[in-house]
Amino acid sequence: MIANILDGIVFGLQLGLLATGLTLVYGLGGVLNMAYGQIAVVSAMVVAFAMDAGLPVLPAVVVGLIAGGLVGLLLDQTLLRPVYRLHEEPRVLLSLLLTLGLSFIIDGFLIWRYPLQALSLHIGGGAIDILGVPMRRGSLVASAITLMTFAGLFLFFRYTSLGLAIRSVIEDEEGARLVGITPQKMMRLILILSGVLAAVVAVTRSMVTPVDTTAGLSITVFALIVTVVGGLGSVAGAFFAGIILGIINVVAASYIGSYISLIILLAAAALTILIRPAGLLGVKE
Amino acid sequence: MLDVKQLSSGYQGNDVVHDVDFHVDTGEVVMIIGSNGAGKTTLFRTICGLLPASTAQVHFDGQEISGLPAEQVAQLGISFVPAERHLFPRMTVRENLILGAYPHKPDSETMSSVLELFPRLEERMRQHAGTMSGGEQQMLAVGRALMSKPRLLVLDEPSTGLAPLLAQAAYKALGLLRARGLTVLVAEQQVPLAMSISDRGYVLENGYIRLQGTTEELAANPGVRSAYLGVA
Repeated sequence: MIANILDGIVFGLQLGLLATGLTLVYGLGGVLNMAYGQIAVVSAMVVAFAMDAGLPVLPAVVVGLIAGGLVGLLLDQTLLRPVYRLHEEPRVLLSLLLTLGLSFIIDGFLIWRYPLQALSLHIGGGAIDILGVPMRRGSLVASAITLMTFAGLFLFFRYTSLGLAIRSVIEDEEGARLVGITPQKMMRLILILSGVLAAVVAVTRSMVTPVDTTAGLSITVFALIVTVVGGLGSVAGAFFAGIILGIINVVAASYIGSYISLIILLAAAALTILIRPAGLLGVKE
Repeated sequence: MLDVKQLSSGYQGNDVVHDVDFHVDTGEVVMIIGSNGAGKTTLFRTICGLLPASTAQVHFDGQEISGLPAEQVAQLGISFVPAERHLFPRMTVRENLILGAYPHKPDSETMSSVLELFPRLEERMRQHAGTMSGGEQQMLAVGRALMSKPRLLVLDEPSTGLAPLLAQAAYKALGLLRARGLTVLVAEQQVPLAMSISDRGYVLENGYIRLQGTTEELAANPGVRSAYLGVA
């Protein structure tokens, strides 16, 4: 049981970071990015290609992170332009449709051109004992990186003026404009950040299990479920929902079956909306 | 300092404010008075860049600002406190004030003078803005607006939602700011409050400026007296 919980936490941290990217973009700009999983996959592929080209691991990962950020920026500057002209519900719907379309295009291209390509980062060394359970080094390194990323985000949003400015747009966009903050600039930054976070998750995931070109859709679906449970617009919500759902997922897969676990996650999300429509710590409903 | 000419504005093609002309000179306090629905909020939101005008020529310190978005108007030195305040509810009083100074780091001198003006805020620095009372939120909204050391402070019905004693306290604070030389433009339904701090005023009715003059002239005007001062 402890092994399941620990594995659940490892998986859950990833889910949480994944959901963070999605929830920030929605909370700040009312945009639902259905191509989020594809950004993660594209970043993973860039790292794989870079390593194939001879780059050592660390620089390849950096290139992957930059790629993730660039895709986010590209999204903001091109595909989302028509979305920004709308507000409220129509904006959410158009963003959903356009990014969904983009996800099909990216998936189609990757699976056609590189069907067998995958990213897998091997962390050498034997298993390490945690609470009596032998944990693979890859899982531990992935978790450590994810936790450090969360810590970095926490410090950024709490203590930097840019972080405060971004939070203020999520809190009250008109109030933010009245103090001289440009919401569009903050949106661009958050999209770049969400792209980098997607890349971080892809890279850390590859330390646990290979990330291949078909992973996009399931990544997006998982991110969406965790985002909804955690509450749209809340990073802390994404963190806690990630851990909880990660544990539920692993425990359910171990006792019932892995195909059922996705259904259980969806049920958990549905239940959350019924009981607490705004999610655990949500801002927008 | 602020020169508004031929401003017409409204919603979805229908103008609610028509051909408004007025000005505010440096160091003055000017009031725009009128009843509910007169167009005061529409007028202010247009000037401050939250609403596009149908036509307008708005000059601030000689620079044409009509058509600029709200965030740019704010950066030019106009701080607008709307009737709904638009505070950041889940951020602390301290964070709200810090953001008032954006993009600059908050000036400790300015912060001290704001807290001196509103000591209640100092007691509640770590409290979330959304959990404060109406009066405290109004103080925070004005305090936040002051953090950027604005050239012009614009307030839309600061007495909104405040019990009479609190509204008077708010205007007392505005009076102190006036004494410090701040230029203020205020829209008010509660005319006696506005008159207590204003040098000049304009009467807005159904979107048109009907009357203008010094506070003394307006206070003596029989039409104003019967409509807004409750004098038969």
